[in-house]
Formats: sequence, C-alpha cells, structure tokens
Amino acid sequence: MKSITGLNAKLALLLVVLALLSLLPGRAGWLLPWNLQGNDAELARLIFWELRIPRLLLALLVGAALGLAGAVLQGLTRNPLAEPGLLGVSSGAAFGAVLAIYTGLGAAFALAIPLLGFTGALLGTMLTLALGAGGGVLSLILAGAAVSGLLLAGTALVLNLAPNPYAAYEISHWMMGSLADRGWAQLFLAAPFVFAGIGVLFTTGRALDALSLGEQQAASLGVDLARLRRQVVVGTALAVGGATAVTGTIGFIGLLAPHLVRAAVGHEPRRVLWPAALAGALLLLAADVATRLLPLAQELKLGVLTGLIGSPFFLWLVWRMKARSP
Amino acid sequence: MPLFRHPRFLLPLLACACAAAAAAEPPRRIVSLNLCSDQLLLELVAPERIASLTWLSRTDGEPALRVLAARLPSNRGSAEEVLAARPDLVLAGRYTTSTTRALLRRVGIPMLEIDAVQDWEGIRRVTREVAAAVGEVARGEALIAQMDAQLATTATLRVSTPVRAIGWSGAAEDVPGRDTLFDTILTTAGAVNIAAQPVGGSGFDLERVLRQRPRLLLRGTAHDGDRAVRSWAANHHVLQALPGLSVLEYSEGAWACGVPRAAAHALELARALRALPEPAQ
Repeated sequence: MKSITGLNAKLALLLVVLALLSLLPGRAGWLLPWNLQGNDAELARLIFWELRIPRLLLALLVGAALGLAGAVLQGLTRNPLAEPGLLGVSSGAAFGAVLAIYTGLGAAFALAIPLLGFTGALLGTMLTLALGAGGGVLSLILAGAAVSGLLLAGTALVLNLAPNPYAAYEISHWMMGSLADRGWAQLFLAAPFVFAGIGVLFTTGRALDALSLGEQQAASLGVDLARLRRQVVVGTALAVGGATAVTGTIGFIGLLAPHLVRAAVGHEPRRVLWPAALAGALLLLAADVATRLLPLAQELKLGVLTGLIGSPFFLWLVWRMKARSP
Repeated sequence: MPLFRHPRFLLPLLACACAAAAAAEPPRRIVSLNLCSDQLLLELVAPERIASLTWLSRTDGEPALRVLAARLPSNRGSAEEVLAARPDLVLAGRYTTSTTRALLRRVGIPMLEIDAVQDWEGIRRVTREVAAAVGEVARGEALIAQMDAQLATTATLRVSTPVRAIGWSGAAEDVPGRDTLFDTILTTAGAVNIAAQPVGGSGFDLERVLRQRPRLLLRGTAHDGDRAVRSWAANHHVLQALPGLSVLEYSEGAWACGVPRAAAHALELARALRALPEPAQ
C-alpha cells in the first residue's frame, strides 16, 4: 500500500511540474510571465487565462478519463489489450457528438453534444461487449474493431451529408483528436460528464479485484457481475463520451497508461486505477505540449502522436501474448 | 465516300459553319461547374439561358445572387448530369471536376475553362473572356465599368494608415494569405493582411492570431457555419475579451471569386474600416 501512495505522489508531482511548464510554450512562441509589461501584459493575461489554462485543464481531465477507463476496461474484460479507442467507445462518442453538431442540435442546445457523445459511447461499448464477450482475448478486440469501423463510417457519413462545405475537412479532428483553440466553454461542457464517469469508475475497484480471480470466485465473494458490468459501461461512456465530444477520438492513452504503471503497482486492478488516471493525464499533456513544440507548418493532431507511440506498444503486447500462449 | 477519304476538305467547311452558328446564335443552354463561373453567368446572361449551376451557389455563393441561383437547376459536377442537360456551352474551373472536363472534351461539347483570378486585372480579363463566349460583350463591359467605378470610390474612402487585419474562421488551415483575392480586397480597401506578411512561426492558431495584434478580424461565414468544430474557435470568448479588436463577418464563398462584384466587397470593407473604433493609445 505504501508503494502505491508513493507512486501516486511521484506521478502527481510530475504532473504539476509538467502542467506548469506546459503553460509556457505556444505555437506562436514562448510566453514567459516575467518579461511581459505594459500593453503586452493584458494580451498575455488573456492568452494564459482564455487559451492555455482551459486547454491544460482539458488535457488533464481527458487524459485522466482515458487512462482510468483503460484500466477499468482491462480489469473488467481481463484483457490487456482493452482500451476505449479499441473497443468502439471513442468512435461511438465521436459519432454521437458529430451527429449533434452537424445536424444543428448542438448549436441550439449545447448540452446535446456531450449527451449524444455519451449515448454514442454507451452504444459502442455495449455492442462491443455483447459481440465479443466470452470468446477470448482477441475476439473482444475483433468485435471492437468491427464496431469502431461501423461507427467511424457513420461519422464520415454524417460529415459528408452535412451542408457545410467545411464539414468534410473536420473529419480529421474527429478521427485524430485535438485540443487546439478550445476554451472554457468546451471545458465546462465536458467536465460534468467526465467527473461523473470518473466517479463511477473509481467505485468499481473492489469488484474488479474480486473479478481478477475469475467470474465464479467473484460471484462467490458476493460481487454482482451484472451490476459491475453496468457500472463500467456507464462510467466509461460518461467519461470517454464527455471527453471525446469536445476533443475528438484520442487513441492508445487508455492502453498505455495502465501498462506503464502496472510494473510498479502490480496486477490488482484496484491498485492500478489512480496511477493509471494520473499517467493518462501525464501522457496526454505531454503529447499536447509536443504538438505545440514541433516546428511543423500545421499543428499535428493529438491522435497522430498518441498513435505513433501507442501502435508499436499495442503490437508489442500482441507479440508478447502470442509468445506466451503456445 | 470521297468526303470521308479527304477529311481535310471538310474541316474548313465545318469550322466555317460553327463560327457562323456561334456568331448568329449565342449559347442558350449553359452549364457552369464552378462556383465562380456561376457568379459570372448569373450576372451576364438571362436566367433562361442557364441550364444548371453548381449546388454551392444556392448556399455559399454571392449572397445577393443566392435567391436567383436557388430557382435554377443545380449540378454537383458529375459528367452524367452535364451530358443529360445537353449544354451548348460548359463553363468550368481549371482545377476541379477533371474527370468531367476530360469526358466533355472527348464528346466535343464546347467548354471554356476559367482561371481562378486573384486581382482586378485578372477579373477584367476573365469577365471579357466569358462575356464573349456567351455573346454578352456589352453586358461584360458594363460590369467592368461598374467595378472600376466602385474601385475609384473605394480609393477615395481608403483610410490613411492601413488597418492590420486577418481572415480567420476558426481553422488554422484556411487563413487566406498572399496572392489571394481576399488579400487583394483587403489591400484595395485600406487594410493590410497579416497572414500575407512574413511573420514568425507557422499556422495561425488562435494564440498566434492574437499575438499578431490585429485590429480587425474578418470571420468567414459559410452556410451553416455554426455546425462545425471550427465555429468553437471562431466564436472563442477571447475574441470578445481582447481590447481593441473588432470582428466583422464576410462570406467566404463570395470573397473567393474573381468576379466584378468583388469590388463591391472592397467598397463595403473600405466603409467598415472608416467606421472602426480608433485604437486606444
């Protein structure tokens, strides 16, 4: 128990340091609070307060949601490859949000965007779990790939049917994710959903620990498996649905974060939850800082970076599983 | 049979016939495959002579012409639609609908490919070109004369110190830079387009826009523009909070077309620039 508190403290400290440093660089150059005077001070204050701080908070919130959802999904499915991006959760959320925005519902009623994001994520998760449950580790991933493919096609369809000539260009945002130019409005839209989801997901720890011994053992320990499954599905849909509705789909954070911390805290699912949330926030923030520091003509989408790091890791996990099972 | 064996004898005859027909009979079933040629056509010929326009003109074209465009048939640029309309002239852009253009060329339907022009001299040239093709030379000259009159008025209204401005609609990818009609309109009206200047960094995200200290932000409106992620950034709260920044809206579709009416937009902008609040010192 001591080591996990220590790890959490270390991760939190690292997060605070990175969060403070992340406020300094922008794509238009560094902004250092101590060398701004006079006329520029007001502009700097606005850039910090209206652009960089909401973006930082959104990165932390979304990263934590993805990391935690990955840890919980891996616990529920007892599958090291589970994560929101691979199980159709993120693509369901993006589909819902896209539906809300491009039909004009979101413009009339802003809450429709995270609400439909949540509904889409719920749909994606339930479909994947229904199709892939009980068929082994890879059948779940295959079901997730099929559901993701379907929902991505739905997203592309909605964008292609949208009357706005720029809608088709926005497809990259929904497929690759971005935090660029977000503000308090988007943070406030997502935050209630993400916090509610994180709250629900943290209550599943004990049941997940019991489940790691096997379904029958868990049931004999008094775990209501149907209830646990509902909690995980609703919690994930709230957290990932709310997050994705304002950032687009960001893959692999939910896969990487739990695996990174598992080496230090062991394999009990409950012990992984907090460190995975912190590591997810750390990873997403680092990726977002990188998009701002890379000297490219156009800002790189977040999902490009997380995919570049995450996909090889995913392949390595698959390779390791193949090596272990004869 | 001898005629077929000696087609060269036939060619001048055919050419004569065509030329004679063209001179006598201006095209009556004109199809336009490009948003900008739509605008020219609507201004140059009577609506009865237009077989179809692009679907874009109904929603994203010149606002003053949208109602008229909505009453006419529309096309989405496919070859089949064009052939079915049996046009006697097709106006197309140089860079889009390439498959359709290739097919029309093979079938032998008369086609005029129009340059996307970015300055007033180019507009005069293209307007004359299209006016001649549709047999409305006088109407073309009238449009050009009107444009030149508006440009002359704009010159008298131009503010003495150019206003720092940028066209920003929420996406870093589509900020109009140098060698665009947008830039020409701004320069003519008395503004300086920040995005056309060599400035540090790359890609105009919101923060870089603000740090360039524009006095005027021109926000493009597309049809149903608020139904898009870019509208989040385009309506970002910081744009209202920044002192000394004014935001004006403009139609991206209309400002992208090198047609005489662009001068009306320059004139309108020149008036708006005079009405801007003085920068606080």
